[in-house]
Amino acid sequence: MLLSLAARRRVLVVGGKGGVGKTSVASAVALDQARTGRRVLLVSTDPAHNLAHLWGVPVGDQGARVAPRLEAVEIDPARATASHLAAVRETLRRAVPEHLTREVDRHLELARDAPGMHEAAVLERLGEVIDRGAAEADLVVVDTAPSGHTAHLLGLPEQMGRWTDGLLRRHERTRRLDVARANLGDEEAAAVLGPARAGRFARGARARGRESRGLEIREVLERRRALLTRLRGTLTDPSTTAFVVVLVAEHLPVLESVELVEQLGGTGVPVAGLVVNRRSPAQGDLLTARRAVEDGQLAAIRSALPGVPLVEVPLLAGEVVGVDGVERLADVLQA
Amino acid sequence: MTPRGRGDLRARVSRGFRDYYAGPYRRRLARSARDEQDLLMMVVLAEELGVPNPAAFYTLELLPAVYGEMHAWHRRAGLERSPFDTVACC
Repeated sequence: MLLSLAARRRVLVVGGKGGVGKTSVASAVALDQARTGRRVLLVSTDPAHNLAHLWGVPVGDQGARVAPRLEAVEIDPARATASHLAAVRETLRRAVPEHLTREVDRHLELARDAPGMHEAAVLERLGEVIDRGAAEADLVVVDTAPSGHTAHLLGLPEQMGRWTDGLLRRHERTRRLDVARANLGDEEAAAVLGPARAGRFARGARARGRESRGLEIREVLERRRALLTRLRGTLTDPSTTAFVVVLVAEHLPVLESVELVEQLGGTGVPVAGLVVNRRSPAQGDLLTARRAVEDGQLAAIRSALPGVPLVEVPLLAGEVVGVDGVERLADVLQA
Repeated sequence: MTPRGRGDLRARVSRGFRDYYAGPYRRRLARSARDEQDLLMMVVLAEELGVPNPAAFYTLELLPAVYGEMHAWHRRAGLERSPFDTVACC
């Protein structure tokens, strides 16, 4: 189920509670798909990155080739924030008189730690990487941070989309007020609206400044809205993207997974499958007893999420570390 | 009176009437438009005003666009100098 799902999608997002094996499963699926000949981009959005540890090679924000046709990227929130701030600084410096550039830098320095800054930066970078994946790869596999963070992250495009919509509506209202004023023969308002409406009125420097600022605000907001809409479209299109939840068959992961599936449903991201990792074999007294407990938990999640396909991955003797370890898990997934 | 002078007078009278009737509405519309701009300024500088702003990443990119209005804005608010420690304009 898991591999055929990945084979038919362009984006596969892997989520779930911390410590259940998201990174291992994401890596194994990515490797399997690369072995079938697809070009795969494996991205981690978890600030506590594990891809480098798992593959045993340095990865980082710039990305590294970890296997043939398989490239890994670890999104760095601090770096993504810094590059956004640098772009804003560049634009601000042009708008601000020379002697105030230090004030600008100070303001941006404080903004670096504003709430939500890192999340938005991660989202921005994820959008970039998915765009790059669309151009240079056949499949993007996203290894995410634990449940809550990810549900929040994937809800951001919609929330922020509403926010930019709200500002754009207010901006449109300002423009309509200017139109009404121009119709009443207000020369300044007419000048703000541009040459088509300005007619015989002379356009003052102040009005010209306002006109260009109004256009700039609109442009910034519309560019932002387009980016968010595109990302949201990709993440919520079930023919492009599949979200799978990894869990182990234990009480807390089962409860958290049910909650995650519901949260994701609320943000419009449908869950395409559940991966129950590290299933104990019915061997020896201890593991047999353990398996019976897991069976109970499996029944619980099946009845809580009846429509969602479920695949079981057996407990492995070895650890999933290095290319060999990932290959072993990929082989197991295929069986 | 020359025909041209009469035209001039008519235009002046007509403008006078227009200003008399439309003036109050224009002022009201101007104030509303300004209020909208002030609101945007508040949104962009929320963090500076002590209001946590979860959209800081996005408001930051609007700062260059509203920076030019900042001086007029704090003067309207009755503040001689920019009230912000980090965003100054004068």
